[in-house]
Amino acid sequence: MNRYPRWPVHLALIMASFVMLVPFYWVAKTSVSGENIYAYPPSIVPAKAQPFFYVDVWYAIPFARYFLNSVAVSVIAVLANVIFNAMAGYALTHGFRGKNVVLMLFLSCMMVPFQATIIPAYLITGRLGLLDSWLGLALPQCSTIICIFVFKASFDAVPRSLIDAARIDGLPEWRIIWHIMMPLSTSAIATNVILAFIWSWNNFLWPLIMTRSADMQTLPLGLARFLSYQEDTTGALYAFCIMVLAPGLLLFLLAQKEFIRGLTSGATKG
Amino acid sequence: MRRILLNRFVLVPGVIALATLAWNLYVASHNHGLVTGRVIDAKGEPVADASVALWVYNFTTYQEQMHVKTDSAGNFRFTDNPSHRIQLSAEKPGVGRSERVPVFLYFRAEDFSLDAPLKLARGE
Repeated sequence: MNRYPRWPVHLALIMASFVMLVPFYWVAKTSVSGENIYAYPPSIVPAKAQPFFYVDVWYAIPFARYFLNSVAVSVIAVLANVIFNAMAGYALTHGFRGKNVVLMLFLSCMMVPFQATIIPAYLITGRLGLLDSWLGLALPQCSTIICIFVFKASFDAVPRSLIDAARIDGLPEWRIIWHIMMPLSTSAIATNVILAFIWSWNNFLWPLIMTRSADMQTLPLGLARFLSYQEDTTGALYAFCIMVLAPGLLLFLLAQKEFIRGLTSGATKG
Repeated sequence: MRRILLNRFVLVPGVIALATLAWNLYVASHNHGLVTGRVIDAKGEPVADASVALWVYNFTTYQEQMHVKTDSAGNFRFTDNPSHRIQLSAEKPGVGRSERVPVFLYFRAEDFSLDAPLKLARGE
């Protein structure tokens, strides 16, 4: 039985949600109305809602091509993240000489911003012959340390006896990961998928540096290109933002339960 | 099988894919670039042999793209509109000219029929 009324908590949460959601609502409203954001008095409901700014965006730039590039790069990044991070996370659940050094190295690497390593990343990608390609666009995001720790936390929660039993049955390590650890770590997988997708989807700097042809640009670069094309951008710009945001939002809404469980599994396990 | 199909990770992308396919089929069958309408004078009578212009949006401005003449019933018909954002205007010496009517289409070269006729008036 609750000793305290819950409504103050709900009220605070509703107010916080309101503050968070108002900018999204404003972007969506402007994308269908084209109203200037500085208009006074501001209108809460769009006066003449119409979808034509979305049509403008679709034809102003090669949206379908940019969308395909973004999807391809994100899919590569997501698959690579799930595979490589799972392998790394599984390795970190074992005791081995120098494990603490590796963990400290990982943690310290998290503090190095990508901007600091972008030149070596560019040179390596160039040496591999992957400049201006989907794989090259996805390469620096094929594994992320945060997601390795998400897998590690999830794998740590799997009883050791289960892994030992699998070993006694003769399963090789990769099959232990694939057939035992992964099915028990759906939340960690969802977290990896969402984070890798959103980071890859929203990435601007790396595609800006390494793409050479207009055909290989991704949606964030398309947004910059679109801004340079259009003169009156209010409605179309916001429509573009919605079109770029929609896939990430949809993915998050689809997998939010697993995502939140994945992020909290390390914190709440016994 | 039913369980897999009703899984939200299958159902939602599946519905989106179906909607996209249906939309593309609709676009493919309605993108002949036909733009039709009527021209009338100030009294509401159809105007024959009026010149109707189609203006196409070009990032910042509208540019005049093509002309057709109305028939005896005042009807006009463009057959190869390339754009999704156009304006239509009509004029006939001695009768007057119409305002430019903006038309927004849902996709490029969408077949479209103008509901309200272009009305010619002197001094416009």
